[in-house]
Amino acid sequence: MNKKVILVGHFGVGKTSVVQQFVYSKFSEKYLTTIGVKIDKKLVKFDGYQMTLLIWDIAGETEQNSVSKSYKLGSHGIIYVFDLTRPSTYENLEGQIEYLKTLLPNAPIQILGNKKDLISEEEFNSVKESITLPFKATSAKTGEHVEEAFIDLAKAML
Amino acid sequence: MSKGLAFDKLREILLEKDWEEREEFAQKLSDLDDQLNSRNRLEEKIQPILDDERESLRHRFPDLFGPQITETISKQIRESQDEVVEALYPILGRMIKKYITSEIEKLSEKVDEQMKLAFSWEAWKIRIKAWFTGTPQKNMIISKLIEPKIEEIFIVEKQSGMLMGSFSKNHSVDQDMIAAMLTAIKAFVEDAFKGETQELDSIDYDNYKIVIKNFKSFFIAVVTSGGMSMAFRDKLDDTLLDFAEKVLRKAKDADEEVKQERITSGLEQYFDNFDKNE
Ligand SMILES: Nc1nc2c(ncn2[C@@H]2O[C@H](COP(=O)(O)OP(=O)(O)OP(=O)(O)O)[C@@H](O)[C@H]2O)c(=O)[nH]1
Ligand SMILES: [Mg+2]
Repeated sequence: MNKKVILVGHFGVGKTSVVQQFVYSKFSEKYLTTIGVKIDKKLVKFDGYQMTLLIWDIAGETEQNSVSKSYKLGSHGIIYVFDLTRPSTYENLEGQIEYLKTLLPNAPIQILGNKKDLISEEEFNSVKESITLPFKATSAKTGEHVEEAFIDLAKAML
Repeated sequence: MSKGLAFDKLREILLEKDWEEREEFAQKLSDLDDQLNSRNRLEEKIQPILDDERESLRHRFPDLFGPQITETISKQIRESQDEVVEALYPILGRMIKKYITSEIEKLSEKVDEQMKLAFSWEAWKIRIKAWFTGTPQKNMIISKLIEPKIEEIFIVEKQSGMLMGSFSKNHSVDQDMIAAMLTAIKAFVEDAFKGETQELDSIDYDNYKIVIKNFKSFFIAVVTSGGMSMAFRDKLDDTLLDFAEKVLRKAKDADEEVKQERITSGLEQYFDNFDKNE
């Protein structure tokens, strides 16, 4: 069973890093912004199922442009990433999610608050209070909750 | 007349006639029975009437049933638009191809004419080579003198970029990834040129040419090596349209695994010997 999964979210929130961690168990401090889209593939196994994820890591954006819209179409699942250390990346979270739901009504969405390793527990709690939608706190650096996020999405896509 | 004679006479008058009529009547009845119960004879009688009726129906058919039929068909089309478009694609493709082929023939004739007019040394060299090898001059100019070959074929769902089936000579690449990447490239190029109506139809990469045939919900990408000749492209187009019509349309409704299997075995059947009987 093959599924198309897209990663979306603002510039530099760690989309590429999350994929690198999940697919190759690697992390790099270097920031190489993604141009266009980068595609990776990973086979996941859970509860006796096997699923091949084709992961489209889409370049970050500040506004919806038409090219990235065509990259999103036909997706079976969505991972929306924001940066726990940069409020501007989750200020309009509801709006972004609403847009994705209209564009892809049948695709489950997994929201990730990334770079958890960079903030204290207190800071995290105050961010959590300001966000109404459920999300998973991840770190592409330590790998915390990264695989779990993909597996949860895979289950939702069954 | 004695009493007895008169009685006989009377009986004769009263009954004899009756008997005759009755016999005649019985004969007619048995004839009729025969006609009705023997198929051949019944047909003989009824066929002309049926023929007349059929002939008149044929003439009046459009008037009698035209509106209902039109209504039914347009309702069908409205309700299953996707299927209709899917079915029409190969047909439209063929029509367009026919037109283009004839345009290319015209062009190629022009090339021929140009060749006849050209007296340059280059033209003579090509001409001499063409005489030696028996290849028409225009083909020698157009083709790069390398036999074209199919390396891989990918059938890819549009938008999602999911691989629906594939054909490969060497199985060296990750086909799921190639399918997704081709989809991304297509999306990029088509958006970059704001081509709502234009679709990417070929990519040149290194020594490969990737020919893309677009259908409504999927596209077919054929990776070829060698010099793409008109004849090769032509045959490829024909085979792809044929394949789309015969295999893909049938496989469409099957569930995912069966579909992929059917498409893949169909590809083998259509393309295994494609280069060989060139
Ligand atoms: N400490 C820490 N740094 C991270 C984490 N995730 C990403 N980074 C860093 O953040 C920077 C941006 O990460 P990318 O993964 O390139 O971000 P992106 O979302 O793919 O960015 P674009 O491709 O430009 O949209 C890089 O320098 C990463 O090393 C994390 O969980 N922890
Ligand atoms: Mg990136």
